[in-house]
Amino acid sequence: MTDNDRILSVEMMEPSATFTLREVCERGDCHAEFVIKLVNYGVIAPVEETPEERQWRFDLQTLARLRKAQRLQRDLKMNLPGLAMSLELLDEVQEMRREVDRLNRQLQQFLGQT
Amino acid sequence: MDFKDYYAVLGVSESASPEEIKKAYRKLARKYHPDVSKEANADDKFKDVGEAYEVLKDPEKRAEYDELKKYGARKDGSFERPSGWQSASGFGDGGYTEADAGQFSDFFEEIFGGGRRAGAGPGFGGGFGSQRRSNRMRGEDVHAKLPLFLEEAIKGCEKQVTFNVQEPDANGRLVSRQKTLKVKIPAGMKEGQHIRLKGQGAPGIGGSANGDLFIEVEYAPHPLFTVEGQDILVTVPIAPWEAAIGASVTVPTVGSKVNVKVPKGSSSGSKLRLKGKGLPGKHPGDQIVILQVAMPERHSEEAQELYKQLAEAEKEFNPRSRLHV
Repeated sequence: MTDNDRILSVEMMEPSATFTLREVCERGDCHAEFVIKLVNYGVIAPVEETPEERQWRFDLQTLARLRKAQRLQRDLKMNLPGLAMSLELLDEVQEMRREVDRLNRQLQQFLGQT
Repeated sequence: MDFKDYYAVLGVSESASPEEIKKAYRKLARKYHPDVSKEANADDKFKDVGEAYEVLKDPEKRAEYDELKKYGARKDGSFERPSGWQSASGFGDGGYTEADAGQFSDFFEEIFGGGRRAGAGPGFGGGFGSQRRSNRMRGEDVHAKLPLFLEEAIKGCEKQVTFNVQEPDANGRLVSRQKTLKVKIPAGMKEGQHIRLKGQGAPGIGGSANGDLFIEVEYAPHPLFTVEGQDILVTVPIAPWEAAIGASVTVPTVGSKVNVKVPKGSSSGSKLRLKGKGLPGKHPGDQIVILQVAMPERHSEEAQELYKQLAEAEKEFNPRSRLHV
């Protein structure tokens, strides 16, 4: 591998970009039915939940979450209710880990250990 | 090349039944799944476990592996493929498997990858792993995390981002390549926010579009500040007499400092709110100063004398009243 360290200068773009159902499927290499099921199970949600699925738009966070759901389903052979619950619990765990980290740091600062 | 002990990876004995192997694999797959585990090398462990299971779940591959373990493994843990060895159950032409063989180790490749090196079919068979379905497809999106210091996130900065992309080599086999980009991060990024770099993900196959690179911003631990929602918290030590009679003290803000009036009668844990000094944005947060009463390491005789007078004057005060003792 010769060009391991190719460095490009890139501007950030569209922090609020959204994707249609079709784009989401193309990117995630998955079927629309799978995405619709995930929405129905409340695992992911479009920015605005319109009855017409073709009008759904998904933001970047949701795209990342969909990928996570796909990986978990593929690797651990989970069904949808299990997937929905796992993702919720994982969110909770992540939130709590962050909270513990933050409180630990605050405590250390308070005790003057930094 | 190191010999890989697949039995040890799964934590089973060499005489383990297929059921025991399956059970061990399932348990470890859950434990080390990169989306679940917080261990730093969960990714590698998960791959190891998947690779070990790929071999041990298949009676034919397992038998071949056992044979090699007997004759190919050396005492020092290294391994060389016996000459003339040819796997009958390899991933060669048409050998379909659910697993993404492109992710497996060199050791695996050495034993079971014979057909792949001999040149897999166009887009099918060995090399393409999970992406073998089509020979025209959009490059994969890459998701990466980027830790920023609070100062960098607030002011914006230029950052180097390193990530791996899967791209086909000259033989059409997917290989992982490290890519480094310099990225300009705009001011005011929040934790958990994503940004997109168009076309910087994995290259498209057969003339299709490249994938994108998505970067999720994280805040790196800061020695002074913590962030809670839109607010920035900082602990500021004050002397007991500053707490008692009030004082004007200098406190750090992100990238600067301000003077703050500590009100008379403050105590450890008292909070002061600096309006608008938190994270910038449509609804800017505040900076919260948490006071902490600090004692000098030792007192002069004069101070001790003064404390005795203080003790006399504040006789009524019982700091342990809520302990009911």
